Amino acid sequence: MAELTLHDVTKVYDDTDGAVTAVDGIDLTVQDGEFLVLVGPSGCGKSTTLRMIAGLETVTDGEITIGERTVHHLAPSERDLAMVFQSYALYKRMTARGNLGYGLKHSTDLKADDREQRVQETAELLGIEELLDDKPEAMSGGQKQRVALGRAIVREPSVFLLDEPLSNLDAKLRSHMRTELQRIQEEVGVTAVYVTHDQTEAMTMADRLAIMDAGVLQQVAPPEVAYDHPANEFVGTFLGSPAMNVFDAVVRERGDEYVVEHDGRTFARVPTGAVERNLLDADVRLGLRPEDLHVDTSLDDAAATCRFEASVTVSEYQGNDNFVYLEAGEQSLTARVPPAVYPDPGSEVDVAVAAEDVYLFEPTTGDAIKTRGIDAERIETRPT
Amino acid sequence: MVSLTRSGDRTLEEKEALLGYALIAPSLLLIAAVILYPVLYNIYLSFTAVPLSPAESPEWIGLQHYQDLLGSGQFWSALWTTVVFTFFSTTLATLGGLGAALLFNRKFRGRRFARGLVLLPYVAPLISIAFVWRFMLDPLYGIVPYVGSDVLGLYGGDIDLLSNDRTALWSVIFVDAWRYFPFAFLMLIARVQAIPSDMYEAAKIDGASRFAQFKDITLAELKYILATVFLLRWIWNFNKFADIWLLTRQVETLPVYAYTVAFANYQHGQAAAISMVLFLALIGFVLVYVAWILDW
Repeated sequence: MAELTLHDVTKVYDDTDGAVTAVDGIDLTVQDGEFLVLVGPSGCGKSTTLRMIAGLETVTDGEITIGERTVHHLAPSERDLAMVFQSYALYKRMTARGNLGYGLKHSTDLKADDREQRVQETAELLGIEELLDDKPEAMSGGQKQRVALGRAIVREPSVFLLDEPLSNLDAKLRSHMRTELQRIQEEVGVTAVYVTHDQTEAMTMADRLAIMDAGVLQQVAPPEVAYDHPANEFVGTFLGSPAMNVFDAVVRERGDEYVVEHDGRTFARVPTGAVERNLLDADVRLGLRPEDLHVDTSLDDAAATCRFEASVTVSEYQGNDNFVYLEAGEQSLTARVPPAVYPDPGSEVDVAVAAEDVYLFEPTTGDAIKTRGIDAERIETRPT
Repeated sequence: MVSLTRSGDRTLEEKEALLGYALIAPSLLLIAAVILYPVLYNIYLSFTAVPLSPAESPEWIGLQHYQDLLGSGQFWSALWTTVVFTFFSTTLATLGGLGAALLFNRKFRGRRFARGLVLLPYVAPLISIAFVWRFMLDPLYGIVPYVGSDVLGLYGGDIDLLSNDRTALWSVIFVDAWRYFPFAFLMLIARVQAIPSDMYEAAKIDGASRFAQFKDITLAELKYILATVFLLRWIWNFNKFADIWLLTRQVETLPVYAYTVAFANYQHGQAAAISMVLFLALIGFVLVYVAWILDW
């Protein structure tokens, strides 16, 4: 068990096609026993970062430490970590027992009996005792997944690396393995870095999220904090499904309120005290989460609520709630509403937005100006 | 099969079966005419004394030819030479192909061109290859004796590698392995490239040495294709005649022996018996090999 630290870690691919910076100066500390999820769109550098931690890619610049040891110049096997691959990467010609025991055989001095003992214990933890004498080709996806996990766990590493381990499973099995993985990680108590592009996986599993885009770390925070208080527009739109509605707007002042307008329409009203900066006449990016657009319902706090008219383009039935696609002037919006609300296409509806649900971002840098809440307080820790 | 026919009618299954027989009948007939008949005729000939004149018919002599063979030192020596030649040329060609396939698995500039060059020995006409090698091995002006004896001093340069009975077999084995390693290479490179790289990455994290990775992943993945390549090359090399005959007259394998008996001594019955032995030995080897090594 150990803390994993990345200090200014950079990866530049330099070949005949020119230099490409895949990962740009990442600073990150994963606490002992923490489950950190590295999340971002395809090509954001998250897998490269993981592979650098693993030692499968060289580090162009920067430093990686595990516990007290600086490891980025060590061979993968000397870093005291284990990795679970997206494709499982099981040794196809070996039985599950062989797969689990392979790492112990090559990187420990354990005797055959002790190795067998460890393999047996791990198999029991994962419930794969009956699979031990099968070869991977005879196993289902979920079984292979467990064996791949077992191969990582059996070595009792300081750090556990998981590269999109659930993406090859079907939806039902995936959600089952998600809870299973969390149970195992908690039981083993190992520091884990988990890479995924699936934000549901990220939100549900993570102690903390590390959100990456274009090789740059955007925000490191617990899921609730990142969701309610995104550091910038990218994080705001990346987390949440359907994605946050974001568009250009301009801020006017009316009394003690900022009024956020787009194309002459008012989409949001925010008490001036909710924002630290003076926003008068400033260009901003306005962000509204689909679940914060209340269609045809009254909000209690009338003072801080903004109402605007919109016409319905499409209503999508989703079961537990509905997605309503709206047009307000030129602006398209997506709303997520309770199942009872199912307006007909073409109908005009009233949309209400509460002041605390308004997100404002800097138009050039994308940095957040205002996130959820109206007292301008940043929640720095996970709410209890 | 349960038949539900009324009188005279055929069930769908029976019709399908009849159609199936009708469809394979032409190829069966063709194979019978061009393969089965010569084989059966050869079996018949091996029990007869074949007169030189085509006007006379072969005379049945039973197992006489086989008895002669078993008592003949030349036959046993030819059989031994065949086994040695086949084993070493097959092994060398397979290992050479494996080495080349592993080498070509990594990316380098001009890989496609180099891959084309590797195939050259295999696709070049046999006659040109045989003469190029005879020229290169020639004791007077060949490059191999020059490098081997004058430059490196490995042996006395006055030996004719292809005519000396101690070196001829090994020279032929070497040329044969050189000519056919591209076949093994072609078969293996496709499989080598299909081995997922993440298995090697997992092995790196597991701490396996390069040798352990080669043994536990590469060889394990290539086992079946290696065994298949070895079997195919074994069959072809066991029957090999032209390559040997064009290089030297000093290496007498069973096919060469059968040829000389048939066309130098004109004992066609005896030659037929030799080829029968060749055939049976090969069948025996293939059966044992498939049963023990290739557990398909």
